[in-house]
Amino acid sequence: MLSKVFATLAVVITGSILLYGVTDFPAFGDPKSPASAGVPGSESVSQYFITESYGDTKVPNLVTSVLADYRGYDTMFETVVIFAAGMAIFAILRVVGDEKDSRKKRVEENTFTNGDHSRIIVGTTCRIVVPVIQLFALYVIAHGHHSPGGGFQGGVILGASFIILALSDHLNAALRRFSEKSYTIIAVVGILIYAAFGVVAQLLGANFLDYGVLQPLLFTDGPEMARSHSMLGVEIGVAFTVTAIMFAIYANLSTRGLLRNGL
Amino acid sequence: MILAFDIVILVFLVIAAIISLSVKDLLSASMIYGIYGFLICLLWAEMGAVDVAFTEASVGAGISTVLLVATVFNTKRKSSD
Amino acid sequence: MIITILSVLLIGAGTVFFLGAAVGLVRFPDFYTRTHAAGKGDTLSSLLVILGYCVYQLKDFESFGESWPILLVILKLLGISVFILITSPTSTHALMDAGWEDKVEPTIQEGHPNHLNDDSGKF
Repeated sequence: MLSKVFATLAVVITGSILLYGVTDFPAFGDPKSPASAGVPGSESVSQYFITESYGDTKVPNLVTSVLADYRGYDTMFETVVIFAAGMAIFAILRVVGDEKDSRKKRVEENTFTNGDHSRIIVGTTCRIVVPVIQLFALYVIAHGHHSPGGGFQGGVILGASFIILALSDHLNAALRRFSEKSYTIIAVVGILIYAAFGVVAQLLGANFLDYGVLQPLLFTDGPEMARSHSMLGVEIGVAFTVTAIMFAIYANLSTRGLLRNGL
Repeated sequence: MILAFDIVILVFLVIAAIISLSVKDLLSASMIYGIYGFLICLLWAEMGAVDVAFTEASVGAGISTVLLVATVFNTKRKSSD
Repeated sequence: MIITILSVLLIGAGTVFFLGAAVGLVRFPDFYTRTHAAGKGDTLSSLLVILGYCVYQLKDFESFGESWPILLVILKLLGISVFILITSPTSTHALMDAGWEDKVEPTIQEGHPNHLNDDSGKF
């Protein structure tokens, strides 16, 4: 009871401090705010992004160009954070081998292909819908620098398609298509793809993740298109990791780390 | 940015947040958390941040609800406080 | 003008069915009837509203050569409506099925021919 009082007090105090801080904020979309107009004497970063990013990178969606190019470090380590979260869940939950406690209670595999007719409607619908979802996910990944989307969103949708398969049929039906070995490898490969773009740029004499120098390797007209293509490659790396980790988290959470007898 | 629409969404957002914190049944709490995710996705889409709204719709409302439900399924369903 | 009226009619009909779904969700007695109201009302009203959007997109239509982006938008909207048509009844069915497996009792009057006996909890 006392802890609840303290918790409420802490929440109220923090909230009022935050609300007090909000009063100093500029209005929504204020063109004179420092974030939009810059401080006197120096050009603002967002102004530069808005006016110059298309000329720099030939990417119409400037959110993607900021995320994957100007702030490349940030996105790379965001991917590493997701990878670390997946590995942490793996390390905490995953049980290897036959354990002796009450968890061992085995349930027979009830799939609609095995004759459990109560799942036939959901299973058939998911078989129709899952390819469409995966196609949409690939579109979101590949078209991320022309329209909203990108590696994170597409990866999550692609991972969700495997989760739908696991929910509608059985976890084993999804694991047959995306096994533990393959999702672990794909999660690592995603980060390695991302880092490889940075390291190759370093080997060619530029800074880490400075994609412009990759022009001779990508056979493009200029450094701008090289940056655009590298962004696509980087997004694909992010999508690999996110897809694998999302499915890994679901598979471990829903089975208490046994990877069988799922929901 | 439409002010009336903003206010409606924000009011529902606060209601959803309070209910998902106060309800005892953790399954309902995770479902209402999904509703919260969709509302905040709507808010961002209406403010023009389509990328963020897309991320919130897929991650906040989609995957995290599934993961929460999977966790509730494997632990106990009633909150103890 | 006539296109605007048609789209307003479609979207209005959609909202009326949404209202019906909401009223059914509150007023019906048990889990199964509530889910049935929500599922049917939601599906039909979403389809009607999306159809209304489709019709509204035709407002600026001039010729196939010039206004093909409008047709693209309509195609996407129709894709969304097909997706809703497939998934929404399935999710309603899955919800009902989960409730039945979880032994949620339907509310049926005593003496009604559909009333369940004690041992008839399974198909």
